[in-house]
Amino acid sequence: MGKAFDFTLILEFIPTLVKYLGITLEILFFSIILGILIGLVAAIPKIFKIPILKQLVTIYISFIRGTPIIIQLFLVYYGLPALFNLFHIDLSRVDALYFVIITYAISNGAIFAEIFRGAILAINSGQTEAAYTIGMTPSQNFRRIIFPQALRIAFPNIGNSVIGSLKDTSLAFTIGVMDMMGRGETLIASTAHALEVYISLSIIYYAIVIIIENIFKVYERYLNRYQPDEISAV
Amino acid sequence: MNKRAIGVKRMIEITNLKKNFGPNEVLKGINLKVNKGDIISIIGPSGSGKTTLLRCLNYLEKPDEGIITIGEVSINARKVHKKDIYTLRKKSAMVFQSYNLFQHKTALQNVMEGLIVVQKKNIKEAQEIATELLRKVGLEHKTKAFPSHLSGGQQQRVGIARALALNPEVILFDEPTSALDPELVGEVLSVIAKIAKEGKTMIIVTHELNFAREISDRIIFMDNGVIVEEGSPKEIFVEQKEERTKQFLKRMVPELDYSI
Ligand SMILES: Nc1ncnc2c1ncn2[C@@H]1O[C@H](COP(=O)(O)OP(=O)(O)OP(=O)(O)O)[C@@H](O)[C@H]1O
Ligand SMILES: [Mg+2]
Repeated sequence: MGKAFDFTLILEFIPTLVKYLGITLEILFFSIILGILIGLVAAIPKIFKIPILKQLVTIYISFIRGTPIIIQLFLVYYGLPALFNLFHIDLSRVDALYFVIITYAISNGAIFAEIFRGAILAINSGQTEAAYTIGMTPSQNFRRIIFPQALRIAFPNIGNSVIGSLKDTSLAFTIGVMDMMGRGETLIASTAHALEVYISLSIIYYAIVIIIENIFKVYERYLNRYQPDEISAV
Repeated sequence: MNKRAIGVKRMIEITNLKKNFGPNEVLKGINLKVNKGDIISIIGPSGSGKTTLLRCLNYLEKPDEGIITIGEVSINARKVHKKDIYTLRKKSAMVFQSYNLFQHKTALQNVMEGLIVVQKKNIKEAQEIATELLRKVGLEHKTKAFPSHLSGGQQQRVGIARALALNPEVILFDEPTSALDPELVGEVLSVIAKIAKEGKTMIIVTHELNFAREISDRIIFMDNGVIVEEGSPKEIFVEQKEERTKQFLKRMVPELDYSI
């Protein structure tokens, strides 16, 4: 397939593809922010063992975990317009980008819900009791005592999810979103240099992942500042 | 008690306090009155309900029945309002066996937390109060340390400073030294003794019988969910009337035998 390998094309492709990084980061940013909000809300029924809601959240989480993201993407892309059609609302002109963001937000939400639940339950109840005995309310306790510490515990997992999510955005092109991957596909169609395109894409994705990882590491060190020395030194 | 016999003021009154955990009757109708400024020690075997009694006093545990009065705040377990619980909690502070410091806050921030969040003091004022309290417990050089970087004894002294910060009328101690290495017990007990001299009302659950004997105005002996016997340290440690008290003391301090 394709033409003879041409190394110099990579240097040519990278700048072309990077121009579409903005779309990729846009998908990532909004799906993470919305995912965190969904995750916080979805974690509540399980933490406080609220009947019915708890079961619903469990089904949601297990469904997301049990199905490939690309299928979730198609379900949303075809399912949402079908659903809105029932109410005579036409979604056919809505930008495919929004379907991508919605899908990834729902998917991240399920993962974040589990991360948050684990992190919150990991904080010993003694601190909550101490907060109550000095007269703090449950919401003050959550905001000032539990949440900051849960964040530290959840942080490495949040970092992994962000990176995983970045890589998942490369599936957005399947419903016609012109992100880096989408642009790469059109480059292949027009130049027939598939390998050079994919090498260029992998270099860009890899570089972004390294940058994100390092940002997370710096913040993780800050969050660990109050840990016993052997942990905070890592 | 007689040192404050004139003008005594009632600080705490517990009437018919009952608490079950499932089928397990843990408190079987406790009645207790504590005057302002009294130092009360609660002793008794493991599982007798001492911790549960303390935890009911600030509604960390909700009693099934009974009336708890601290100062002018009174709650009947039959009809409790959330607001009453907050008011009751502000009357007392608790020092925990396992310290329960806020792990993500420095020693100073631990003490400041209630001042800022509950008493709405500004940062500067809270800092001054907290610094002063840490000096009082001998930790002026550790204000910026996080709990995980402090020894058990130091953590517990921060816990005591945190309890003192809101200037509560009553301080509850639940075995404040029993999680500590033996060589660290002394530093914590001496801080407690120092506060005791300042006239705060204190209830201390402890297995440190010598300490209880020295600082208490009154000793309460609990067993199996009831107060078996109460009286001055001399009445309990030397002239105890109940067989159960005798047995307990014999087990705890065999060397006390001579005084029986
Ligand atoms: N949250 C709980 N759920 C169920 N049972 C409990 C709970 N807390 C305490 N108990 C039971 O209540 C009884 C009294 O416990 P409590 O902790 O008040 O005893 P204690 O006198 O403080 O004992 P120790 O000296 O060991 O601290 C015990 O039988 C204990 O198992
Ligand atoms: Mg106990």
